[in-house]
Amino acid sequence: MTDTKRVYETPPTERPITNAEAARAAQLAANEHIKIASGYLRGTLADGLLKHATGAISEDDGQLVKFHGMYLQDDRDLRPERTKKKLDKAYSFMIRLRIAGGVISPKQWLVLDDIARTYAGNALRATTRQTFQYHGVIKSNLKRTMAAIDATLLDTIAACGDVNRNVMAATNPAQAGAHRAAYQLAKDISDSLLPKTSAWREIWLDGERVAGGEEEAEVEPVYGRTYLPRKFKTVVAVPPSNEVDIFAHDLGFIAILDEKNQVTGWNVTVGGGMGMTHGEPDTFPRTADVMGFVEPEDAIKVAEAVMTVQRDWGNRKNRKNARLKYTIERYGLDAFRAEVETRIGKPLAAPKPFTFTNNGDRFGWTEGDDGRHHLTLYVPSGRIKDIEGGAQFLSGLRRIAEVHTGDFRLTANQNVIIANVPAEQRAAIEALVDEYGLTKGAGALRRNSIACVALPTCGLALAESERYLPDLMTELEQSLASHGLAEEEITIRSTGCPNGCARPFIAEIGLVGRGPERYHLYLGAAFDGSRLSKLYREDVQASEIRDTLDPLFADYAKGRQPGEHFGDYLIRAGHVARTTNGPDFHERTGALKPALQG
Amino acid sequence: MSRQNLLPRTAPFGDGERASLDAVLGAASPTQRAWLAGFLAGLDAAGGQPAAVPAAPPKAAAPLTVIYASESGNSEALAGTVAKLARKQGFKPKVVDFADLDVATLPKAGKLVAIAATWGEGEPPARGVRAYGELMGEGAPRLDGVEFAVLALGDTSYAEFCAIGKALDARFEALGGKRAAERADLDLDFEKPAADWIKATLKALAPAEAADNVVAVDFARVAAGEDDEAEPSREPLVVEVVEHVNLNSSRSDKETIHLALAFEDGAPAYEPGDSLELFPENDPQLVDEILTAAGLSGDAALRNALLAERDITTLSAATIERFVKATGHTDAQRLIESGEAKAWIEGRHLIDLIATFPATLTAEHLTAITRPLPPRAYSIASSRKEVGDEVHLAIVAVRYETHGRARSGVASVHVADRIRDGAKLRVRLKPNRHFRLPQDPATDIIMVGPGTGVAPFRAFVQERRAIEAPGRSWLFFGDRHFLHDFLYQLEWQEALEDRSLTQIDVAFSRDQPEKVYVQDRITHHARELVSWLDGGAHFYVCGDAKNMAKDVRNAVVKAYETAKGLSPAKAEAQVAALERSHRYQQDVY
Repeated sequence: MTDTKRVYETPPTERPITNAEAARAAQLAANEHIKIASGYLRGTLADGLLKHATGAISEDDGQLVKFHGMYLQDDRDLRPERTKKKLDKAYSFMIRLRIAGGVISPKQWLVLDDIARTYAGNALRATTRQTFQYHGVIKSNLKRTMAAIDATLLDTIAACGDVNRNVMAATNPAQAGAHRAAYQLAKDISDSLLPKTSAWREIWLDGERVAGGEEEAEVEPVYGRTYLPRKFKTVVAVPPSNEVDIFAHDLGFIAILDEKNQVTGWNVTVGGGMGMTHGEPDTFPRTADVMGFVEPEDAIKVAEAVMTVQRDWGNRKNRKNARLKYTIERYGLDAFRAEVETRIGKPLAAPKPFTFTNNGDRFGWTEGDDGRHHLTLYVPSGRIKDIEGGAQFLSGLRRIAEVHTGDFRLTANQNVIIANVPAEQRAAIEALVDEYGLTKGAGALRRNSIACVALPTCGLALAESERYLPDLMTELEQSLASHGLAEEEITIRSTGCPNGCARPFIAEIGLVGRGPERYHLYLGAAFDGSRLSKLYREDVQASEIRDTLDPLFADYAKGRQPGEHFGDYLIRAGHVARTTNGPDFHERTGALKPALQG
Repeated sequence: MSRQNLLPRTAPFGDGERASLDAVLGAASPTQRAWLAGFLAGLDAAGGQPAAVPAAPPKAAAPLTVIYASESGNSEALAGTVAKLARKQGFKPKVVDFADLDVATLPKAGKLVAIAATWGEGEPPARGVRAYGELMGEGAPRLDGVEFAVLALGDTSYAEFCAIGKALDARFEALGGKRAAERADLDLDFEKPAADWIKATLKALAPAEAADNVVAVDFARVAAGEDDEAEPSREPLVVEVVEHVNLNSSRSDKETIHLALAFEDGAPAYEPGDSLELFPENDPQLVDEILTAAGLSGDAALRNALLAERDITTLSAATIERFVKATGHTDAQRLIESGEAKAWIEGRHLIDLIATFPATLTAEHLTAITRPLPPRAYSIASSRKEVGDEVHLAIVAVRYETHGRARSGVASVHVADRIRDGAKLRVRLKPNRHFRLPQDPATDIIMVGPGTGVAPFRAFVQERRAIEAPGRSWLFFGDRHFLHDFLYQLEWQEALEDRSLTQIDVAFSRDQPEKVYVQDRITHHARELVSWLDGGAHFYVCGDAKNMAKDVRNAVVKAYETAKGLSPAKAEAQVAALERSHRYQQDVY
């Protein structure tokens, strides 16, 4: 790393920004200026909502609104016709909820369903981070939508932006005690690291502006007025499932269980992250390091310390180098751990052993050790909507929410669990699942797939993702079947850009959009999400992906050892180089040897 | 105005004398001429000696009051024609808009011509509502001694054909007036019958003592060739379509065509607020359907006539009567006799009549049954100061289904479906002096134009941008969906940017569970709106007459109640005062 390492003698827990500092801020990234000037995330949002001739908001407000859980988007399918028709871009907002651990009650589900039907095009979208987002909410409906969300005791604060975002937790509560602990930790972290500004309530709910209270220490005692240098993602995992993809996140807690499956403490992971930029080798995905072990009572303190060290040490000049993963690369894990230990006032213990076996979901019914039943449904691309001539996810889950006495859980793989069903209710739920054609599973490839949203709503997308992956999987399923691999579990993920929302760099087959119908193909990641992939072929045309993979499937079918996963095999067989944890992601790329058919 | 040459060259006078006599006689009213005739006769009888004092002073010209209730301008134009001809014939005409009419003055009118349009489902034109209400109400004055005649305009495609004219005719009689001429009820092709009616009516109203003129001159004919140079040409002009684009998004269920029309020899001198009449063609498929149903498929000449000249959609009681007369169809006759025709017509067109009562028709029958195809008027959406020799229109395609048949608006769907860039259209300017920007560009304007009602306000904003008008402007726009139906959205954004538009409020009815309309936005901004009006702002409404215009007016009345704590009656008086001072103007249809 080229940056000089700086070490703070005393941790600057209070970091007031003076005018002089703001003036010097010319070196800071543009978003830092926006945050400084925003008055704790207010900006000119309230005025922007009153500009009726446009569905958009100002560019600066567009950055701020992310902290409120929204992105300004436009329907890119409609772009070509709009100007000719004397119409502005078809702007609308994506609204993302904050649902710690992805747990919501049936009552909340019904409200979220109402909102989807009223303001958001009859669709709820389960994201890759255990929450829901709405698409297509127009500016004039934002406040009503937020009010409806607030009324069901949910919010969208910090669902996006340079803050601690929605905290994920392991879902399938088969090990009931451990999962309760995981959820509780996720919830507590979410609560304690939540921005405290009243801007959200003020702007969206016409709340009173809190008088006085503009002293930084009072408004944002943890964040300060500039919040974090970049987004910050936290997850809690319960082995043996790595469904939350712990290595892809800034901060993680891995439950360490005793022989009774009770949590004795947590291994702490830091510095994972997916995003990178095409053509900029200084940017790379990175798998998290296991930093140490923490007792349950210290977990929240550690979470806050990790976040505040990143707050103070993170790069605020270059947003492409601002995530925690780069901070740790720059300072080294040891220096980082030492700073965290200083801030919590005690050393961390050495990590305890743990084993992950996969990063997917367990579909169908499972029974918890407390006798409760849980049904994981397969929701293609997380789209909860009524598909014409197909599954009626929106209507079916609404009916289930009307009778269900347990709760719902969203998974990190965009699926939905109908959780905590008493044994006597199982049949009733099952009947509704059948009536509405809901899917309790899918082929092996689909079960292990994730696609980001991409076109037409995402402004970053360079290529299709969610609308394309199902078709590609149909092609690949035929290829796999022809090699006797139809039931082989292989993870496949696609994104429209390299920012990594679907965590494509830790999938055994990763597709990352480059341009229309053009993708980088990444291979060689671990099935359990512990190892990154490697760029195997640049700029593959969509029509050539099947033919590129087919000989590798053939080779895998012949050469694999019992239980050996596709990603592991490709490395052992010498098709693609192994990536360790990230900085070497861009080294030794490409096919190491020709893959010959037959 | 050229002087009339009344005396023939053969008259036994010198040129100078003839000119002097012409000057006197030409300006004389029938009464004056009648007096003069009597005087001259008496002079001769008295042996050539003039009487020391004339028996009576020359009577003043007979006053004639012409009142009109106009929406689209047709009644107003006819009132002007009446006045012009009447003046020629020695009347002293006074033309009064219903909007300005003080009904208390009518008993003194002496001779009264009323020209009234009927609007929508049997309603008076918006500007005439107040005076009409007063006339029909209990406080109406007696009209004993008043001679009156009523000309009713209407549209047979509406159930209550000429209802307002009919009601006025009956009312004047009930109030003691004397009907001088039978009422005429005229359809959209009113021009020729109206001219005939006016001629006959003026004759009937002429003073009895002037009945036999000493010098027989056809004054009407002399007048006919005159004063026409001031009128805009009634001849349609051919224009080329230079832009044809559907303003609604491809996701919209509406279709609004923006048309830019180029005039080869310069656009007519139109003003913001004027309309353009468009001569449409019928749907060829419908023409063929009618021809087939009538057993006339092979007649190419008839087909062309039906395409471009005849109204082949409108179905009225009169149409059925003419159909029965032509075919002797007994079932159709029974429909009339049973009194069910009116209900049956609802939602039906000519094709339904022909299809339901099959009969072999001739080309002459079809022509006799139908009325001429009228042009459709659209509010102009451009200012010449910005678009030069073009006229822009915004036309919403009207499509719906009734009685199992797909129906379409003749002109709008002609434009939407069969007109493209480069096509030619026939058009005619239709001025509307009741929908005008304030004289003073510093005056604020408030514009309420949902849907294609926004068209004239595009012209207003263009005009005020071009003249750099310092007055503020406030637009209320509405439609179904913000994303897909925001007509001219980018242009409003530019106008806000360059300040030719000060503010905009929008109401998209289907973007949220409850319907929101422009009147709701007015209500929301009651105080600000009233403060603009108190500051002298002019208020304009364009669009749907049936509901929107009334709802908007009610909202403005309410705004006065809210903003000033007025009683409903006082608030109503405020709005009525705005209307009387022409600061509340409507272009509704």
